[in-house]
Amino acid sequence: MKRLITLTVNDKKYEVAVEPNMTLVDLLRYELGLTGTKKGCEVGDCGSCTVIMDGNPVNSCLVLAVQANGRDILTIEGLETDEGLHPVQQAFVDKGAIQCGFCTSGMILSAKNLLDRNAKPDEAEVRMAISGNLCRCTGYQKIVEAIKSASGWREGSGKSHE
Amino acid sequence: MLLPKFDFHEPTTIEEACQIMAELGQKAKLIAGGTDLIVNMKRKVLSPEHLVSLSRIDALKNVDLSDGPLRIGACVTAAALAESEGIKRTFSAFSKGASVLGTPLIRNLATIAGNLVSARPAADLPPSLMAYGAKVVLKKSAGERSVALEDFFRGPGQTVVGKDEILTEILIDKPLGYTGAGYIKLGVRKTLEISLVNVAAFISLDSQDGSIQRARIVLGAVAPIPIRVPSAEQILVGEKPTETLFVRAGETAAQDSRPIDDFRGSAEYRRDMIEVLTRRALEMAFNEARSHE
Ligand SMILES: Cc1cc2nc3c(=O)[nH]c(=O)nc-3n(C[C@H](O)[C@H](O)[C@H](O)COP(=O)(O)OP(=O)(O)OC[C@H]3O[C@@H](n4cnc5c(N)ncnc54)[C@H](O)[C@@H]3O)c2cc1C
Ligand code: FES
Ligand code: FES
Repeated sequence: MKRLITLTVNDKKYEVAVEPNMTLVDLLRYELGLTGTKKGCEVGDCGSCTVIMDGNPVNSCLVLAVQANGRDILTIEGLETDEGLHPVQQAFVDKGAIQCGFCTSGMILSAKNLLDRNAKPDEAEVRMAISGNLCRCTGYQKIVEAIKSASGWREGSGKSHE
Repeated sequence: MLLPKFDFHEPTTIEEACQIMAELGQKAKLIAGGTDLIVNMKRKVLSPEHLVSLSRIDALKNVDLSDGPLRIGACVTAAALAESEGIKRTFSAFSKGASVLGTPLIRNLATIAGNLVSARPAADLPPSLMAYGAKVVLKKSAGERSVALEDFFRGPGQTVVGKDEILTEILIDKPLGYTGAGYIKLGVRKTLEISLVNVAAFISLDSQDGSIQRARIVLGAVAPIPIRVPSAEQILVGEKPTETLFVRAGETAAQDSRPIDDFRGSAEYRRDMIEVLTRRALEMAFNEARSHE
Protein backbone atom coordinates (compact mmCIF):
# COMPACT_ATOMS: atom_id res chain seq x y z
CA MET A 1 0.00 0.00 0.00
CA LYS A 2 1.26 3.46 -0.86
CA ARG A 3 2.11 5.85 1.92
CA LEU A 4 1.94 9.59 1.95
CA ILE A 5 5.24 11.19 2.91
CA THR A 6 6.45 14.78 3.06
CA LEU A 7 10.03 15.74 2.58
CA THR A 8 12.03 18.82 1.74
CA VAL A 9 14.22 18.58 -1.32
CA ASN A 10 16.44 21.55 -2.13
CA ASP A 11 14.35 23.79 0.13
CA LYS A 12 11.11 22.82 -1.58
CA LYS A 13 8.44 20.82 0.24
CA TYR A 14 7.00 17.78 -1.51
CA GLU A 15 4.10 15.56 -0.56
CA VAL A 16 4.17 12.26 -2.42
CA ALA A 17 2.59 8.84 -2.19
CA VAL A 18 5.22 6.12 -2.42
CA GLU A 19 5.36 2.34 -2.25
CA PRO A 20 7.40 1.18 0.77
CA ASN A 21 9.83 -0.63 -1.53
CA MET A 22 10.78 2.51 -3.44
CA THR A 23 14.27 3.83 -2.74
CA LEU A 24 15.08 7.49 -2.23
CA VAL A 25 17.11 7.63 -5.44
CA ASP A 26 14.12 6.33 -7.43
CA LEU A 27 11.81 8.82 -5.74
CA LEU A 28 14.14 11.67 -6.69
CA ARG A 29 14.70 10.53 -10.26
CA TYR A 30 11.38 9.06 -11.31
CA GLU A 31 8.79 10.84 -9.17
CA LEU A 32 10.37 14.26 -8.69
CA GLY A 33 12.26 14.37 -11.98
CA LEU A 34 15.55 15.24 -10.30
CA THR A 35 17.82 13.17 -12.51
CA GLY A 36 21.03 14.89 -11.40
CA THR A 37 21.34 12.16 -8.79
CA LYS A 38 22.75 9.14 -10.63
CA LYS A 39 22.27 5.45 -10.15
CA GLY A 40 25.29 3.23 -10.72
CA CYS A 41 25.74 0.07 -8.68
CA GLU A 42 22.57 0.41 -6.56
CA VAL A 43 24.23 -1.42 -3.66
CA GLY A 44 26.26 1.26 -1.87
CA ASP A 45 29.58 0.76 -3.62
CA CYS A 46 29.90 3.65 -6.07
CA GLY A 47 28.49 6.83 -4.49
CA SER A 48 26.95 8.15 -7.71
CA CYS A 49 23.61 8.35 -5.86
CA THR A 50 25.00 10.55 -3.05
CA VAL A 51 22.59 13.07 -1.56
CA ILE A 52 22.86 15.05 1.66
CA MET A 53 20.18 14.00 4.15
CA ASP A 54 19.76 16.09 7.31
CA GLY A 55 23.30 17.38 6.80
CA ASN A 56 25.01 14.04 6.13
CA PRO A 57 25.95 12.62 2.72
CA VAL A 58 24.46 9.15 2.21
CA ASN A 59 23.93 6.60 -0.57
CA SER A 60 20.32 7.27 -1.63
CA CYS A 61 20.11 3.80 -3.22
CA LEU A 62 20.21 2.31 0.30
CA VAL A 63 17.59 4.61 1.81
CA LEU A 64 13.90 3.84 1.45
CA ALA A 65 11.75 6.76 0.34
CA VAL A 66 9.56 6.16 3.40
CA GLN A 67 12.63 6.54 5.61
CA ALA A 68 13.14 10.01 4.10
CA ASN A 69 9.75 11.09 5.42
CA GLY A 70 10.17 14.42 7.22
CA ARG A 71 13.82 14.73 6.26
CA ASP A 72 15.71 17.48 4.54
CA ILE A 73 17.41 16.43 1.31
CA LEU A 74 19.95 18.32 -0.76
CA THR A 75 20.71 17.09 -4.27
CA ILE A 76 23.07 18.45 -6.90
CA GLU A 77 20.19 20.50 -8.35
CA GLY A 78 20.06 22.47 -5.08
CA LEU A 79 23.57 23.87 -5.27
CA GLU A 80 23.30 26.47 -8.01
CA THR A 81 21.84 29.82 -7.00
CA ASP A 82 20.94 33.03 -8.83
CA GLU A 83 24.55 34.02 -8.42
CA GLY A 84 25.65 31.03 -10.43
CA LEU A 85 27.26 27.71 -9.77
CA HIS A 86 28.32 26.73 -6.29
CA PRO A 87 32.08 27.37 -5.85
CA VAL A 88 32.73 23.62 -5.73
CA GLN A 89 30.82 23.15 -9.00
CA GLN A 90 32.70 26.03 -10.58
CA ALA A 91 36.03 24.59 -9.44
CA PHE A 92 35.17 21.22 -11.04
CA VAL A 93 34.49 23.01 -14.33
CA ASP A 94 37.58 25.20 -14.12
CA LYS A 95 39.95 22.40 -13.19
CA GLY A 96 38.72 19.88 -15.75
CA ALA A 97 37.53 17.53 -13.00
CA ILE A 98 34.60 16.31 -15.08
CA GLN A 99 34.89 13.78 -17.89
CA CYS A 100 31.83 11.60 -18.44
CA GLY A 101 30.15 13.28 -15.47
CA PHE A 102 28.55 10.22 -13.98
CA CYS A 103 30.34 10.52 -10.64
CA THR A 104 30.25 14.30 -10.57
CA SER A 105 27.03 14.96 -8.63
CA GLY A 106 28.09 12.65 -5.84
CA MET A 107 31.67 13.91 -5.81
CA ILE A 108 30.55 17.52 -5.55
CA LEU A 109 28.12 16.80 -2.72
CA SER A 110 30.74 14.86 -0.75
CA ALA A 111 33.22 17.68 -1.36
CA LYS A 112 30.74 20.38 -0.36
CA ASN A 113 29.98 18.51 2.84
CA LEU A 114 33.68 18.30 3.63
CA LEU A 115 34.25 22.01 3.05
CA ASP A 116 31.21 22.93 5.14
CA ARG A 117 32.83 21.15 8.08
CA ASN A 118 36.47 21.79 7.38
CA ALA A 119 37.22 24.91 5.35
CA LYS A 120 40.89 24.08 4.82
CA PRO A 121 41.26 20.32 4.44
CA ASP A 122 44.61 18.78 3.57
CA GLU A 123 44.98 16.39 0.67
CA ALA A 124 44.50 13.29 2.83
CA GLU A 125 41.25 14.70 4.21
CA VAL A 126 40.03 15.51 0.71
CA ARG A 127 40.79 11.99 -0.50
CA MET A 128 39.09 10.46 2.53
CA ALA A 129 35.98 12.60 2.05
CA ILE A 130 35.48 11.35 -1.51
CA SER A 131 36.53 7.79 -0.78
CA GLY A 132 32.95 6.54 -1.11
CA ASN A 133 32.64 8.07 -4.57
CA LEU A 134 34.18 6.13 -7.42
CA CYS A 135 35.34 7.75 -10.65
CA ARG A 136 36.25 5.60 -13.64
CA CYS A 137 37.49 8.48 -15.81
CA THR A 138 39.63 11.11 -14.17
CA GLY A 139 42.04 9.19 -11.98
CA TYR A 140 40.89 11.50 -9.16
CA GLN A 141 43.82 13.91 -9.44
CA LYS A 142 41.86 16.77 -11.04
CA ILE A 143 38.96 16.17 -8.68
CA VAL A 144 41.27 16.53 -5.71
CA GLU A 145 42.80 19.67 -7.23
CA ALA A 146 39.35 21.15 -7.82
CA ILE A 147 38.29 20.53 -4.24
CA LYS A 148 41.49 22.03 -2.91
CA SER A 149 41.12 25.09 -5.10
CA ALA A 150 37.53 25.53 -3.91
CA SER A 151 38.57 25.23 -0.31
CA GLY A 152 39.23 28.91 0.13
CA TRP A 153 35.80 29.96 -1.09
CA ARG A 154 34.32 30.96 2.23
CA GLU A 155 36.92 33.66 2.71
CA GLY A 156 36.54 34.63 -0.95
CA SER A 157 34.87 37.74 -2.36
CA GLY A 158 31.11 37.78 -1.77
CA LYS A 159 30.88 34.35 -3.30
CA SER A 160 29.34 32.69 -0.26
CA HIS A 161 26.31 30.65 -1.14
CA GLU A 162 24.94 30.03 2.31
CA MET B 1 17.35 -3.34 -9.09
CA LEU B 2 13.91 -3.70 -7.62
CA LEU B 3 13.23 -4.38 -4.00
CA PRO B 4 10.75 -7.13 -3.18
CA LYS B 5 7.46 -5.80 -1.82
CA PHE B 6 6.88 -5.53 1.92
CA ASP B 7 4.76 -3.75 4.50
CA PHE B 8 6.52 -1.03 6.41
CA HIS B 9 6.21 -0.31 10.13
CA GLU B 10 7.67 2.64 11.98
CA PRO B 11 7.35 2.33 15.73
CA THR B 12 8.51 5.31 17.79
CA THR B 13 9.20 3.47 21.04
CA ILE B 14 11.12 0.31 21.92
CA GLU B 15 7.99 -1.19 23.52
CA GLU B 16 5.98 -0.66 20.36
CA ALA B 17 8.74 -2.21 18.26
CA CYS B 18 8.88 -5.25 20.57
CA GLN B 19 5.14 -5.67 20.30
CA ILE B 20 5.22 -5.57 16.50
CA MET B 21 8.05 -8.12 16.43
CA ALA B 22 6.15 -10.36 18.86
CA GLU B 23 3.15 -10.33 16.53
CA LEU B 24 4.97 -10.69 13.22
CA GLY B 25 7.88 -12.92 14.29
CA GLN B 26 9.35 -14.86 11.35
CA LYS B 27 7.66 -12.69 8.73
CA ALA B 28 9.39 -9.49 9.78
CA LYS B 29 12.89 -8.05 9.67
CA LEU B 30 14.16 -5.07 11.57
CA ILE B 31 15.78 -2.34 9.51
CA ALA B 32 18.23 0.19 10.96
CA GLY B 33 20.68 1.79 8.51
CA GLY B 34 19.69 -0.67 5.80
CA THR B 35 23.23 -0.93 4.41
CA ASP B 36 23.25 -4.68 4.87
CA LEU B 37 19.56 -5.52 4.64
CA ILE B 38 18.66 -3.44 1.57
CA VAL B 39 21.59 -4.93 -0.34
CA ASN B 40 20.45 -8.45 0.60
CA MET B 41 16.90 -7.63 -0.42
CA LYS B 42 17.98 -6.16 -3.75
CA ARG B 43 19.99 -9.30 -4.41
CA LYS B 44 16.87 -11.32 -3.46
CA VAL B 45 18.74 -13.13 -0.70
CA LEU B 46 15.99 -11.96 1.65
CA SER B 47 12.40 -10.96 1.04
CA PRO B 48 10.65 -10.35 4.34
CA GLU B 49 6.92 -9.62 4.25
CA HIS B 50 7.34 -6.83 6.79
CA LEU B 51 10.07 -4.34 7.58
CA VAL B 52 10.10 -2.78 11.02
CA SER B 53 12.16 0.39 11.04
CA LEU B 54 14.08 1.43 14.13
CA SER B 55 15.05 4.86 12.78
CA ARG B 56 12.25 6.78 14.50
CA ILE B 57 13.06 5.49 17.97
CA ASP B 58 15.09 8.30 19.50
CA ALA B 59 15.85 6.25 22.62
CA LEU B 60 18.12 4.04 20.49
CA LYS B 61 20.34 6.91 19.37
CA ASN B 62 22.10 7.89 22.59
CA VAL B 63 25.70 7.50 23.64
CA ASP B 64 26.11 7.71 27.41
CA LEU B 65 29.68 8.38 28.49
CA SER B 66 28.87 9.48 32.04
CA ASP B 67 29.34 7.24 35.09
CA GLY B 68 29.27 3.47 34.84
CA PRO B 69 29.76 1.53 31.66
CA LEU B 70 29.75 3.19 28.26
CA ARG B 71 26.22 2.68 26.87
CA ILE B 72 25.68 2.90 23.15
CA GLY B 73 22.19 2.85 21.64
CA ALA B 74 21.56 0.32 18.88
CA CYS B 75 21.00 2.94 16.20
CA VAL B 76 24.12 5.04 16.77
CA THR B 77 25.90 5.30 13.42
CA ALA B 78 29.49 4.40 12.69
CA ALA B 79 30.09 8.06 11.78
CA ALA B 80 28.82 9.24 15.18
CA LEU B 81 30.98 6.63 16.94
CA ALA B 82 34.08 7.62 14.97
CA GLU B 83 33.52 11.32 15.64
CA SER B 84 33.00 10.98 19.39
CA GLU B 85 36.03 12.39 21.20
CA GLY B 86 35.01 10.66 24.42
CA ILE B 87 34.97 7.25 22.74
CA LYS B 88 38.28 7.95 21.04
CA ARG B 89 39.88 8.82 24.37
CA THR B 90 38.70 5.78 26.30
CA PHE B 91 38.09 3.17 23.61
CA SER B 92 40.58 4.04 20.87
CA ALA B 93 40.50 0.62 19.20
CA PHE B 94 36.71 0.70 18.90
CA SER B 95 36.83 4.26 17.58
CA LYS B 96 39.35 3.08 14.99
CA GLY B 97 37.06 0.22 13.91
CA ALA B 98 34.17 2.63 13.42
CA SER B 99 36.35 5.03 11.43
CA VAL B 100 37.41 2.41 8.86
CA LEU B 101 33.98 0.83 8.33
CA GLY B 102 32.90 1.11 4.68
CA THR B 103 33.02 4.63 3.30
CA PRO B 104 32.07 8.05 4.68
CA LEU B 105 28.66 7.64 3.01
CA ILE B 106 28.07 4.17 4.45
CA ARG B 107 29.21 5.31 7.91
CA ASN B 108 26.45 7.93 7.96
CA LEU B 109 23.87 5.14 7.65
CA ALA B 110 25.45 2.02 9.17
CA THR B 111 24.50 1.39 12.81
CA ILE B 112 26.36 -0.48 15.50
CA ALA B 113 23.53 -2.99 16.09
CA GLY B 114 23.25 -3.63 12.36
CA ASN B 115 26.96 -4.34 12.25
CA LEU B 116 26.71 -6.86 15.09
CA VAL B 117 23.49 -8.59 14.04
CA SER B 118 24.50 -8.90 10.38
CA ALA B 119 27.39 -11.00 11.79
CA ARG B 120 29.74 -10.81 8.86
CA PRO B 121 32.98 -12.62 9.67
CA ALA B 122 35.05 -9.60 8.56
CA ALA B 123 32.92 -6.90 10.24
CA ASP B 124 34.85 -4.01 11.76
CA LEU B 125 33.10 -3.43 15.07
CA PRO B 126 33.01 -6.90 16.71
CA PRO B 127 36.76 -7.53 17.25
CA SER B 128 37.50 -4.49 19.40
CA LEU B 129 34.16 -4.73 21.20
CA MET B 130 34.95 -8.34 22.08
CA ALA B 131 38.43 -7.35 23.18
CA TYR B 132 36.94 -4.74 25.54
CA GLY B 133 34.53 -7.37 26.88
CA ALA B 134 31.34 -5.68 25.60
CA LYS B 135 27.83 -6.95 26.35
CA VAL B 136 24.63 -6.43 24.43
CA VAL B 137 21.09 -6.03 25.71
CA LEU B 138 18.35 -7.94 23.88
CA LYS B 139 14.74 -6.94 24.50
CA LYS B 140 11.38 -8.46 23.75
CA SER B 141 7.90 -7.87 25.08
CA ALA B 142 8.34 -10.66 27.61
CA GLY B 143 11.54 -9.24 29.07
CA GLU B 144 15.20 -8.57 28.43
CA ARG B 145 18.52 -10.35 28.75
CA SER B 146 22.11 -9.38 28.46
CA VAL B 147 24.62 -11.43 26.48
CA ALA B 148 28.40 -11.14 26.34
CA LEU B 149 29.46 -10.36 22.78
CA GLU B 150 31.75 -13.37 23.00
CA ASP B 151 28.69 -15.62 23.20
CA PHE B 152 26.70 -13.67 20.63
CA PHE B 153 27.83 -14.95 17.22
CA ARG B 154 26.79 -18.36 15.88
CA GLY B 155 28.10 -18.33 12.31
CA PRO B 156 28.17 -16.08 9.25
CA GLY B 157 24.95 -14.05 9.44
CA GLN B 158 23.86 -15.89 12.57
CA THR B 159 23.58 -14.71 16.15
CA VAL B 160 21.71 -15.62 19.33
CA VAL B 161 19.14 -12.86 18.69
CA GLY B 162 15.65 -14.38 18.68
CA LYS B 163 13.04 -13.59 15.99
CA ASP B 164 11.13 -11.37 18.39
CA GLU B 165 14.15 -9.76 20.03
CA ILE B 166 15.67 -6.34 19.47
CA LEU B 167 19.24 -5.46 20.32
CA THR B 168 18.76 -2.18 22.16
CA GLU B 169 22.08 -1.33 23.72
CA ILE B 170 25.77 -2.15 23.80
CA LEU B 171 27.54 -1.85 27.15
CA ILE B 172 31.27 -1.65 27.74
CA ASP B 173 32.81 -1.37 31.18
CA LYS B 174 35.26 1.49 31.34
CA PRO B 175 38.74 0.02 31.54
CA LEU B 176 40.45 0.89 34.80
CA GLY B 177 44.09 1.64 35.45
CA TYR B 178 46.81 0.82 32.99
CA THR B 179 44.85 -0.58 30.08
CA GLY B 180 45.07 -0.15 26.37
CA ALA B 181 43.87 -1.63 23.11
CA GLY B 182 44.61 -1.64 19.40
CA TYR B 183 42.73 -2.51 16.22
CA ILE B 184 44.20 -3.17 12.80
CA LYS B 185 42.22 -3.81 9.62
CA LEU B 186 44.16 -5.26 6.75
CA GLY B 187 42.85 -4.89 3.25
CA VAL B 188 44.30 -4.07 -0.13
CA ARG B 189 42.65 -0.65 -0.26
CA LYS B 190 42.28 2.10 2.30
CA THR B 191 38.54 2.34 1.98
CA LEU B 192 35.51 0.39 0.77
CA GLU B 193 37.24 -2.75 1.81
CA ILE B 194 36.33 -6.05 3.35
CA SER B 195 39.18 -7.09 5.63
CA LEU B 196 41.52 -9.91 4.76
CA VAL B 197 42.33 -10.12 8.41
CA ASN B 198 41.51 -7.88 11.31
CA VAL B 199 42.98 -8.03 14.78
CA ALA B 200 42.04 -6.40 18.06
CA ALA B 201 44.12 -6.64 21.21
CA PHE B 202 43.47 -5.49 24.76
CA ILE B 203 45.87 -5.60 27.69
CA SER B 204 45.94 -4.36 31.24
CA LEU B 205 49.10 -3.95 33.29
CA ASP B 206 49.36 -4.16 37.05
CA SER B 207 51.39 -0.94 37.09
CA GLN B 208 52.96 1.43 34.62
CA ASP B 209 56.11 -0.68 34.27
CA GLY B 210 54.51 -3.86 35.55
CA SER B 211 53.42 -7.20 34.17
CA ILE B 212 50.42 -8.03 32.06
CA GLN B 213 47.37 -8.74 34.17
CA ARG B 214 44.82 -9.51 31.51
CA ALA B 215 45.02 -9.91 27.75
CA ARG B 216 42.48 -10.48 25.00
CA ILE B 217 43.26 -11.07 21.36
CA VAL B 218 40.43 -11.23 18.84
CA LEU B 219 40.82 -12.18 15.18
CA GLY B 220 38.26 -11.34 12.51
CA ALA B 221 37.80 -12.65 8.96
CA VAL B 222 39.76 -15.86 9.65
CA ALA B 223 36.89 -18.01 10.94
CA PRO B 224 33.09 -18.09 10.55
CA ILE B 225 32.85 -15.73 13.54
CA PRO B 226 35.32 -13.39 15.24
CA ILE B 227 37.40 -15.55 17.58
CA ARG B 228 39.54 -15.12 20.67
CA VAL B 229 42.89 -16.85 20.83
CA PRO B 230 43.24 -18.13 24.40
CA SER B 231 46.58 -19.84 23.72
CA ALA B 232 48.19 -16.55 22.70
CA GLU B 233 46.53 -14.70 25.57
CA GLN B 234 47.93 -17.19 28.09
CA ILE B 235 51.45 -16.56 26.91
CA LEU B 236 51.05 -12.91 27.90
CA VAL B 237 49.39 -13.08 31.30
CA GLY B 238 51.74 -12.63 34.25
CA GLU B 239 54.67 -11.69 32.02
CA LYS B 240 56.56 -8.45 31.57
CA PRO B 241 55.66 -6.97 28.19
CA THR B 242 58.60 -7.23 25.79
CA GLU B 243 59.02 -7.36 22.05
CA THR B 244 59.96 -11.05 22.19
CA LEU B 245 56.84 -11.83 24.19
CA PHE B 246 54.62 -10.10 21.62
CA VAL B 247 56.41 -11.95 18.81
CA ARG B 248 55.70 -15.27 20.55
CA ALA B 249 52.05 -14.33 21.05
CA GLY B 250 51.80 -13.50 17.34
CA GLU B 251 53.33 -16.82 16.35
CA THR B 252 50.95 -18.71 18.60
CA ALA B 253 47.92 -16.83 17.26
CA ALA B 254 49.01 -17.69 13.72
CA GLN B 255 49.57 -21.37 14.57
CA ASP B 256 46.24 -21.74 16.32
CA SER B 257 44.05 -20.07 13.70
CA ARG B 258 42.55 -21.73 10.62
CA PRO B 259 42.13 -19.09 7.93
CA ILE B 260 40.82 -20.09 4.50
CA ASP B 261 41.95 -19.56 0.91
CA ASP B 262 39.74 -17.32 -1.17
CA PHE B 263 40.05 -14.78 -3.96
CA ARG B 264 41.06 -12.07 -1.50
CA GLY B 265 44.07 -13.93 -0.17
CA SER B 266 45.56 -17.32 0.54
CA ALA B 267 45.38 -19.03 3.90
CA GLU B 268 49.16 -18.93 4.09
CA TYR B 269 49.26 -15.17 3.57
CA ARG B 270 46.50 -14.67 6.11
CA ARG B 271 48.35 -16.77 8.67
CA ASP B 272 51.52 -14.73 8.17
CA MET B 273 49.52 -11.56 8.56
CA ILE B 274 47.89 -12.78 11.78
CA GLU B 275 51.37 -13.19 13.20
CA VAL B 276 52.48 -9.68 12.26
CA LEU B 277 49.23 -7.89 13.05
CA THR B 278 48.77 -9.58 16.42
CA ARG B 279 52.22 -8.38 17.39
CA ARG B 280 51.49 -4.86 16.19
CA ALA B 281 48.06 -4.69 17.84
CA LEU B 282 49.66 -5.80 21.12
CA GLU B 283 52.31 -3.11 20.78
CA MET B 284 49.58 -0.53 20.24
CA ALA B 285 47.69 -1.83 23.26
CA PHE B 286 50.84 -1.79 25.40
CA ASN B 287 51.80 1.75 24.42
CA GLU B 288 48.34 2.95 25.28
CA ALA B 289 48.25 0.99 28.54
CA ARG B 290 51.49 2.55 29.67
CA SER B 291 50.20 6.07 29.15
CA HIS B 292 46.64 5.52 30.43
CA GLU B 293 45.65 5.71 34.04
C1 LIG C 1 29.42 -0.57 0.27
C2 LIG C 1 29.41 -1.21 1.63
C3 LIG C 1 30.60 -1.30 2.35
C4 LIG C 1 30.61 -1.89 3.61
N1 LIG C 1 31.79 -1.93 4.28
C5 LIG C 1 31.84 -2.48 5.51
C6 LIG C 1 33.07 -2.50 6.23
O1 LIG C 1 34.11 -2.04 5.77
N2 LIG C 1 33.07 -3.05 7.47
C7 LIG C 1 31.95 -3.58 8.02
O2 LIG C 1 32.02 -4.05 9.15
N3 LIG C 1 30.77 -3.58 7.36
C8 LIG C 1 30.69 -3.04 6.13
N4 LIG C 1 29.50 -3.04 5.44
C9 LIG C 1 28.33 -3.72 6.02
C10 LIG C 1 27.32 -2.82 6.76
O3 LIG C 1 27.39 -1.51 6.30
C11 LIG C 1 27.54 -2.80 8.26
O4 LIG C 1 27.50 -4.10 8.77
C12 LIG C 1 26.50 -1.93 8.99
O5 LIG C 1 26.98 -1.65 10.28
C13 LIG C 1 25.13 -2.56 9.09
O6 LIG C 1 24.31 -1.69 9.85
P1 LIG C 1 22.88 -1.19 9.32
O7 LIG C 1 22.34 -0.30 10.36
O8 LIG C 1 22.98 -0.63 7.97
O9 LIG C 1 22.13 -2.59 9.31
P2 LIG C 1 20.79 -3.04 8.56
O10 LIG C 1 21.09 -3.33 7.15
O11 LIG C 1 19.68 -2.10 8.86
O12 LIG C 1 20.54 -4.40 9.35
C14 LIG C 1 21.44 -5.49 9.25
C15 LIG C 1 20.85 -6.69 9.99
O13 LIG C 1 20.78 -6.43 11.38
C16 LIG C 1 19.45 -6.54 11.85
N5 LIG C 1 19.29 -5.49 12.85
C17 LIG C 1 19.59 -4.17 12.68
N6 LIG C 1 19.41 -3.50 13.85
C18 LIG C 1 18.99 -4.43 14.75
C19 LIG C 1 18.65 -4.34 16.14
N7 LIG C 1 18.71 -3.18 16.83
N8 LIG C 1 18.28 -5.49 16.78
C20 LIG C 1 18.21 -6.67 16.10
N9 LIG C 1 18.52 -6.79 14.78
C21 LIG C 1 18.92 -5.68 14.12
C22 LIG C 1 18.57 -6.39 10.63
O14 LIG C 1 17.34 -7.07 10.78
C23 LIG C 1 19.43 -7.03 9.56
O15 LIG C 1 19.28 -8.42 9.60
C24 LIG C 1 29.42 -2.43 4.17
C25 LIG C 1 28.23 -2.34 3.45
C26 LIG C 1 28.21 -1.74 2.19
C27 LIG C 1 26.92 -1.65 1.44
S1 FES D 1 24.10 3.70 -6.89
FE1 FES D 1 24.11 4.05 -4.80
S2 FES D 1 26.15 3.70 -4.29
FE2 FES D 1 26.11 3.10 -6.34
S1 FES E 1 34.01 11.59 -14.67
FE1 FES E 1 33.38 9.70 -15.43
S2 FES E 1 33.13 8.54 -13.62
FE2 FES E 1 34.05 10.32 -12.91
